Amino acid sequence: MTTRVIITCLIGLGLTSCSKNLEVVPQTSLSSATFFTQEADFKQAVNAAYVPLRTIYNNFDWLLGEMHSDNTYYYRNILFGATEQQENIADFSLPTSNGLTTNTNVRDEYRNFYQIIARANQVLATIDKVEFDAASKSNLKGQAQFLRAFAYFKLVQYFGKVPLHLTPVTNRQEAAAQLASVDELYKQIESDAKGAAQGLLNKAKQEPGRATSGAAKTLLANLYLVQKRWADAEAISKEVIASNEYSLMPNYADAFSGTNSNKNNAESVFEVQFQEGSAGYNGNLIYRFLPLPITAGELQPITGTSNPQGLSGEGNNAPTPDLIAAYEAGDKRKDASIAYVTLSQSLRDNKVYPYIKKFAAPHAQHNNTGNNWPVYRFAEVLLFAAEALNEQSKGAEALTYLNRVRDRAFGAGVSPVTVTGQVQLRDIIMKERRVELAFENKRWNDLVRTGKAVEVITAYGNRVKANPQAYYYPAGNVPPNNAFTNIDLVYGLPADEAALSPYF
Amino acid sequence: MKQFLFQKTKYLSVLFFLLSLSIAAGAQTNLKGRILDDKGAGLSGVSILVKGTGNGTGTDANGNFSINVPSSKATLVISSIGFVTQEIPVDGRSNLDVTLAPDVRSLENVVVIGYGSQLRKEVTGAVQTINAKELKDLPVSQIGQKLQGRLAGVQINQTTGKPGQGINIRIRGQLSVSAGSDPLYVVDGFPLTGNIGAINPDEIESISILKDAASTSLYGSRAANGVVLITTKKGRKGQTSMGLSTYVGTQHVPMRGRVKMMDAVEFAQFKKEYYEDAGQPVPIEFQNPSQYEGKNNDWYGALLRDAPIQSYNLTLTSNTEKLNTALVAGVFDQQGVVLNTRYKRYSLRMNSDYAISDRVKIGFNLAPQYVFDNTPRTDGDRGTGILFNALHTWPVMPIYDANGQLTKFNQFPGSTGNIFAYPNWVRAAQELVNETKNVNIISNAYLQYQPIKGLTLKSTINVEYLNSRFFFFNPSTATNAINVPIPTTAVSIRQNTENISWLNENLATYTHSFGEHNFELLGGFTQQKFTQNATRIQADTYTDDRLPTIQGALNIARGGTNNQVNEWGLNSFLSRLTYNFKGKYLFTASVRTDGSSRFGVNNRWGTFPSASAGWVISDENFLRNSKRISFAKLRASYGVIGNNNIGNYTQYALVNNTVNAVFGNTVATGAQVTQLANPNLGWETTKQIDLGFDLGLFNDRIQFTYDFYTKNTTNLLYSVQIAQEAGFGNFNDNIGEIKFWGHEFAVTTRNTEGKLRWTTNANISFNRNRVLALAEGIDRVYGSFHITKVGQPFGQFYGMVSEGMYLNQADLDKSPKIPGRSTVGSIKLKDVNGDGVITYGGDFDDRTIIGSPFPKFTYGIVNSLTYGNFDFSVVGSGSYGNQLFVRHIYSTANLDGVFNLLQEVKYRFRSPSNPGKGFFGTTVGGGNVTGIERDWINSRFVADASYFTIKNVTLGYNIGVKNKVFKSARVYASIQQLYTFTNYWGGPNPEVSSQGDGNGDGGNLSQGVDFSSYPVPRTYTLGVNLNF
Repeated sequence: MTTRVIITCLIGLGLTSCSKNLEVVPQTSLSSATFFTQEADFKQAVNAAYVPLRTIYNNFDWLLGEMHSDNTYYYRNILFGATEQQENIADFSLPTSNGLTTNTNVRDEYRNFYQIIARANQVLATIDKVEFDAASKSNLKGQAQFLRAFAYFKLVQYFGKVPLHLTPVTNRQEAAAQLASVDELYKQIESDAKGAAQGLLNKAKQEPGRATSGAAKTLLANLYLVQKRWADAEAISKEVIASNEYSLMPNYADAFSGTNSNKNNAESVFEVQFQEGSAGYNGNLIYRFLPLPITAGELQPITGTSNPQGLSGEGNNAPTPDLIAAYEAGDKRKDASIAYVTLSQSLRDNKVYPYIKKFAAPHAQHNNTGNNWPVYRFAEVLLFAAEALNEQSKGAEALTYLNRVRDRAFGAGVSPVTVTGQVQLRDIIMKERRVELAFENKRWNDLVRTGKAVEVITAYGNRVKANPQAYYYPAGNVPPNNAFTNIDLVYGLPADEAALSPYF
Repeated sequence: MKQFLFQKTKYLSVLFFLLSLSIAAGAQTNLKGRILDDKGAGLSGVSILVKGTGNGTGTDANGNFSINVPSSKATLVISSIGFVTQEIPVDGRSNLDVTLAPDVRSLENVVVIGYGSQLRKEVTGAVQTINAKELKDLPVSQIGQKLQGRLAGVQINQTTGKPGQGINIRIRGQLSVSAGSDPLYVVDGFPLTGNIGAINPDEIESISILKDAASTSLYGSRAANGVVLITTKKGRKGQTSMGLSTYVGTQHVPMRGRVKMMDAVEFAQFKKEYYEDAGQPVPIEFQNPSQYEGKNNDWYGALLRDAPIQSYNLTLTSNTEKLNTALVAGVFDQQGVVLNTRYKRYSLRMNSDYAISDRVKIGFNLAPQYVFDNTPRTDGDRGTGILFNALHTWPVMPIYDANGQLTKFNQFPGSTGNIFAYPNWVRAAQELVNETKNVNIISNAYLQYQPIKGLTLKSTINVEYLNSRFFFFNPSTATNAINVPIPTTAVSIRQNTENISWLNENLATYTHSFGEHNFELLGGFTQQKFTQNATRIQADTYTDDRLPTIQGALNIARGGTNNQVNEWGLNSFLSRLTYNFKGKYLFTASVRTDGSSRFGVNNRWGTFPSASAGWVISDENFLRNSKRISFAKLRASYGVIGNNNIGNYTQYALVNNTVNAVFGNTVATGAQVTQLANPNLGWETTKQIDLGFDLGLFNDRIQFTYDFYTKNTTNLLYSVQIAQEAGFGNFNDNIGEIKFWGHEFAVTTRNTEGKLRWTTNANISFNRNRVLALAEGIDRVYGSFHITKVGQPFGQFYGMVSEGMYLNQADLDKSPKIPGRSTVGSIKLKDVNGDGVITYGGDFDDRTIIGSPFPKFTYGIVNSLTYGNFDFSVVGSGSYGNQLFVRHIYSTANLDGVFNLLQEVKYRFRSPSNPGKGFFGTTVGGGNVTGIERDWINSRFVADASYFTIKNVTLGYNIGVKNKVFKSARVYASIQQLYTFTNYWGGPNPEVSSQGDGNGDGGNLSQGVDFSSYPVPRTYTLGVNLNF
């Protein structure tokens, strides 16, 4: 009898906890059902939207924006293979067909910008459903709008038409969107950037490193230049300049952050933030921009670390002789931007190589740097204004802005530009941009938007092919024979993405 | 009914007669004797019955019996499970010794099936049972290794030789895109959540492999991968015995099969030629290769050693009328053949059943276990697996310095092409700690009650507990990673994991027969819950390697420190009806309904029905008296089963709040949605048909079983790639369809009988699969070396087709080439799409399917011989027609001379007049040329991996001791992994399969990759089995 009771109990026990047994929710991960319900959640979501910028600027953007131009090349190391993903970009030989490319760097740049967009969309789609402090909300929305506008702006410049997502994807069917036209994209960027300019705090009030109203306006200025809306560009640039939130650092070299100092300085409009250390927020840019193979002893004076280690492989972002020649005599920016190192293991007769000094600040640990990346500096805003004015034939006024930049580079009044003819001045301003903003991933976009890309790169390609040794090839080695065969004004869309999208 | 009454009357009258006889004392005679098994050992618990009477007895522990027989003309019926029943006339004797022959036919044997047992003859599903006795001599730590070669339709690969690890069991070629494919292991009715590998094989009494859906469907949403039922030891009726089995041995890695790498002189010669061929000055280090004569450094060999293995098991069983107890205590200790490997297991099992009354029975099983395991980081890709790293380390780099101390670090000047700096791998093996200590307890308790005849109610509580402590320490003096300078930052990882799984089952079974209709009805409700709690702490920057505590570290690594909780719950209802008519027409139908916490809220419950039928043709009149055909049965089954190995929280949208940003120099917490929700997510469904027949010929001297199966798996759980413009890479969904089919043949023959008894078991299986559909809009999934494509089998090797080299300028001129890269002497790849240009990837891709990891067939053969007191057995298993992807040649045949090279690279292309053997191309031209050969996946990476391995040879001898201490004693010698016949050149183990290639694609889609794994040793052992 007792046993019967026991059995009944056991069965009863089982059945009562039945439905509860099946309700198992994750305990160590937040789920979206409960997230996005309070101010702190949106703060975190906005913070996460900045994060892909670190990957983009550390790993990819210099390939697409700088090495894909006449400013930099790669340091050919014939001992090392599997380098075509970088080389093809510098060599203008990207495998592209039907508007698609298999290059992984191009793909990853694209994907990372969409990470920013998805995170911003998540914020913008849900933030208005939650009640909290209006000022905080406006600042958070502004950051999301700025990041989304910036991501689309980079994408449209590199790729032209791209898919437009403005709301979070919730299932497989929504994953791919139709390609939006360049004009649609510009419209969206303008609207987001304007919203951001309105909603964001200014530099004085904003936490250093976050997007500001000034950054949003600079982005707008850049957009208007690309669109050739000169008057709009002039107005918005002047607004930034007149705000007095920014000034040029007296010394050009000080415009760039150290590994943990001089970040977000007076000249900085928007920087990608890195932090040195083992927590994983660091970059390693300078290590990507060195001629190789390099010994620990040759590396140490450049990095200043306590544990330098010899490096091999193939180095990238080598300043070209063309760029070096573009600096005028007396330009202090040259030595601040470029230095030289002698590699004992080099297979070249000339073992002396130039490298980018701008981002080589001393740091503690090998391969771990904290330098911020300058996306927009005040110097560029001045050059935006100069360009916008010159394009409206206001050359004299343009010079006031241009010469502010030159005064710092050469010393006050040492080498001012006096030319006011629009055509001549246009070239002068472009050359000024080239040296002032060297290695800041502006060159390729500038060549495209000014219609000079094919002409300049063709000539440059001919120089590389004619004299490979000047472009860091060891004797007897030449560029691949498909070099400079594909000077498209836009990058092919990633083939891996095309495989997953019905729209391209 | 009439007959029954008649029998009953007759029985009663006989009883009465006997009773009267016994009263008439003196007419009886006493008979004494002993019952022996075929090996001459006394058999306990044998039933001895005077035919036609209720008068009977059993043998004692030594096989002795004593019985009063009514007359000298009586006949004794002697029976014992597992032996052929004998009827022996007394013929006036007073002493009788009988040897029982083992019942090889075993058709009357009881087979353990899901939620019950069945007479073998009446089984309608595809079930194969192995008695643990057959497996006892194999000196291996895991039960899976012991099953190699014995099962039809089950592929068992030992993918790594790491002690206690790496057994990959696939029933009927089961695969899934991303859900797990391991069978469900059920121990004494309890589906385990942990690793079966740790169970002491000596605790096992029998193993049933359930292959078809009808056999497995009572396990519902967990049944699709097949079910392995393990029954642990119980006492035998009327028997008390104690046994000690032990073996000691040594393990060794044979030279044959090791990857043949260049020695120091050959390597220096290669480097010299490399620079000469390129027209460059030869670095001083390689100008004179003969300087390395006698200074070779075999880095791979330096990691290996001969290592001991030992095992001790004590088994005690006792079965009295009320209490049945079995106790197994075991110690297993294996030092691995790679330095500093050790696997130790202390295990205990106590199984007890107690009959409170005729109607009420309770039972408890308790099996605690402690396992210690330390294994260096041997397996894995270049950079992390020390075996792979050792293979390609320059043999000119010294293992020992001039003082005989292990070097710390080796780096040649960059001018020699030495890109990677090498820490000392011997130090990595010896100084890194990578240990796991597990305490594992499996326990079952039940209460069984028979309220009325035929009805059994059973309630069980089962608990599985695991406490695992993992400790990793990388001191500053060594590392398993390439290119890390020494001293390095010391790192420790501690992970403590606690798993608790409990299961409550409540079952009712009702059996009833009327006439020749026999029914059994089973119904039940079960509930299982699993909880895992894990804490991981990673710390680094130690001031002193001798104190690897957490507090000894200067930094706690935020990214590697976390805690995890994993849970799932499963509620199920199950029922089964078994019916047969005359034991000849057999029918079974069952259904299980599972509700699982893993499934999306819109799709929480799944129902899994099945039906099967059998026809014992040999019981029909037209075959009953056949001299040739002793047994014949046809079987057919159909069922629907599921696979719920889809992860615990795959249905939810998850937010990761460690996506942190930096502003200024301040870290700000960031949060991101990392996984999209899918409330419709469900289990994978497999529908399976099985057709089979069993045949016994010539009084079952030959027994044959054949099965054909076909199954379709749909709704595969897959993390479907989506366009990343969505901000996500994947969406968890149920997609696609795969078809599997196959044939299985198993044959057992008793070749000779009498003094020399020779039995052969052989099996061969043909398993095939084909992908019928993936997601809409997706017809293929690429891995790094694989493609899974609609219309093709799963995970095929994918790449370029190598056609040798461009032998000369004329050859280069007339052949399709890679613009800007192909040169004379570089690899010539096939222009598959015929566009005149060789292209890798993209729209003009020349890649194609270049091989398959799936065998055309797998097979096994077991021969057992006994001759007098000697016994001998040979177990072999093999696989035919499969290939492996030799991943390490991207390093070991890197023509830039960055790594040490395969010896075969000596015979590379050097010039049109010295073209080599056509397998490796020119070194001239640097990565632009050599990179094609190395980085463009091509058919040279694919190697035939067909093999036949003599898994075990054992020779045993029964010492004819007959004293009061021992009932029997046997000694044996055994060699495990004796020899492998194979053409595979990529490494010592053709069974290897790296699951996942470290590049993010799923395990099952990328099988058959050899990174170089822990070698499977040859093991020589001597063993003793004693019975007291």
